[in-house]
Amino acid sequence: MRKGIIAAMVLPLVVISLVLAAPAWSAPTVKVGFVYIMSGPFSAYGQFAKKGAELAVDEINAAGGISGHKVEAFFEDSTGKPDVAIRALRKLVFQEKVDFLIGLDSSGVAKTVVPSIPQMKTPLIITHAATPDVTGSVCNRYVFRISVNLPQNVKAAAMLAAGTDAKTWTTIGPDYAFGHQSWEYFEKYLQVMKPDANFLPKDAVAFPPFKTTDFNPYINKIMQSGADGVLVSLWGGNLIDFVRQAQEMGLFDGKRQVLMTLGAATEVLSALGDKMPEGLWVGTRYWFLANDSQRNQDFVKAYFDRYGEYPSYNAHGAYGALYTYKAAAEKAGGIDKEKVIDALEGLTVELPVGEITIRPEDHQALSDVSWGQTAGHANYPIRILNPVKIFKAGDVTPSPADSGCRK
Amino acid sequence: MESFLINLLNGLSWGMLLFLISLGLTTVFGVLGILNFAHGSFFMLGAYLCMQIMHIMPSFWSGILVGPLVVALLGVLIERVLLRKVYGRDISFQLLLTFAILLVLDDAVRIIWGPGYHVVEPPAILSGVFTLGTRTYPVYRLFLVIAGPLVGLALWLFFQFSRWGRIIRAAAMDREMAEGVGIRVPMLFTVVFALGTWLAAFGGALAAPHQSLAPSMGERIIIESFIVVVCGGMGSFPGAFAGALILGLFESFGTVFLGSAQMAVPYILLAAVLLVRPYGFFGREV
Repeated sequence: MRKGIIAAMVLPLVVISLVLAAPAWSAPTVKVGFVYIMSGPFSAYGQFAKKGAELAVDEINAAGGISGHKVEAFFEDSTGKPDVAIRALRKLVFQEKVDFLIGLDSSGVAKTVVPSIPQMKTPLIITHAATPDVTGSVCNRYVFRISVNLPQNVKAAAMLAAGTDAKTWTTIGPDYAFGHQSWEYFEKYLQVMKPDANFLPKDAVAFPPFKTTDFNPYINKIMQSGADGVLVSLWGGNLIDFVRQAQEMGLFDGKRQVLMTLGAATEVLSALGDKMPEGLWVGTRYWFLANDSQRNQDFVKAYFDRYGEYPSYNAHGAYGALYTYKAAAEKAGGIDKEKVIDALEGLTVELPVGEITIRPEDHQALSDVSWGQTAGHANYPIRILNPVKIFKAGDVTPSPADSGCRK
Repeated sequence: MESFLINLLNGLSWGMLLFLISLGLTTVFGVLGILNFAHGSFFMLGAYLCMQIMHIMPSFWSGILVGPLVVALLGVLIERVLLRKVYGRDISFQLLLTFAILLVLDDAVRIIWGPGYHVVEPPAILSGVFTLGTRTYPVYRLFLVIAGPLVGLALWLFFQFSRWGRIIRAAAMDREMAEGVGIRVPMLFTVVFALGTWLAAFGGALAAPHQSLAPSMGERIIIESFIVVVCGGMGSFPGAFAGALILGLFESFGTVFLGSAQMAVPYILLAAVLLVRPYGFFGREV
């Protein structure tokens, strides 16, 4: 049904734009395929990515395209399932013949599909999935990531935790690799920085299943545990439900340190509004007020003017990935896939988030990590971060040797 | 002791929400013989419409009163225009049709309200917490614990003692005989389906202040409601009550004592019931 509607709306546009644009673009288009979650409970992430991507496509085309080629974007729905994501990627590569791939929200999806990307012989930039494995144990020549990954984000959390007086830490995170790995890395990093810190054993911490809407039993468990520090790696709707219920139950009564690794996501902050308690430490992959470079100001303004909201990290990811591809194609002198890959390795490009450099060894971008404390502000309808704390990429990124990547 | 009480209340409040949803599902199945896959979408619509109406008339009570009624009207339309065509046919027609309705409604919600998250505030009178020894507990959750059985009891009294209730039960037992004694069965089916959708939507509106709204939010609750209905016995009122209560309590205490093994609890319960009592706690052999 959806496809029908989309086709009905898009077809006339395509015809009109072909007629109008044909003389202006003599070179063939460069095709970029985007794969995100476009349906189901997490479709907000795909929608954000699409907004960011479309903004980038229009800006780039208005400025002359990529190496003289007009950008043509294709969007596919991963539905958050690995088998569907693989089919979507294959369709883009073999049917639509895209030159480049951008996408992937879920870590589970990313980890499963990444080993199949070399067969498709098409480079992919991951912009959301944070699992260390895609630039670690399953890394390969064709896969890159420009977004902040789990170890980078959690290392920043551990550095914050080391500066607090909390002695015993527990966690609440989604019951899949992301939640468990967040806790493992946090424990690993904080133990080194603060040897007297205690960590509750695995059976005493809380890993609610993804589909949980009632977090009270878990909140109860945390409050009973006697821990005075809580690492929260829940995200999206889970995090919204958790924050509201934890607020009611009195978890944020000031007796505990609470660190939320993805608490500064705009979709969470907009839904919660002033129900988000102030003074909590929250992290994200991109915070729209974290730097006042011209690049960032232009992006935030263009995004706000077009969509009437502030860019989320996922919008920034898709937006930034297309500009990263543009920089690589220009460095490579064309859109040949293998040459673009060589150009991506070691590439430095300025994005709204700041300057990022893609490490040639494991293809992970070195990008600064933003954290901050939630605070109200008269000019914003949502909680913003004040103060903002920026962690330099070099301080929070494991060395290439530690990434586990053996290409 | 306090922790035990809090776990108990958690289990009860979740269980009562499940009970309301399962009640609609089991009633529609019991009377119409339709296994309604779209029930979770009506739950979702109830929550979204409650939110929407609160934007127009800023009170939770107007949202919870008007929202589910609008969904029930949609239920009337769906029954008249779509479901009516498949009553006599193979069960696969019903499953496909209600599944199609689910897909359409889920997409409609995404188109109308966007894919993002929304929250609904509980009314001021229910928004605080009360003290339980050294701990606090949200008043709204207690409200859920009370509201569920009240609605259930009202419905049970209606079915058991009112004239309409008797007619509906008669039609459920033997459709042809009911038609033979002059009961307008098609009209009755419309009323029952509307009641079922109202129950789902009412559950959604009740759940709205307690969980965030997002497209497909009915997915989880529909799976657990199916488990409740099967465990309790298809079409059985007390069965839905017992099933929802047991599942709610298992989940609440399971979280504390079983850790992540708790995820398997509903399914183990389902398998055990099917093995020992294939017709559920209160189901009769057919």
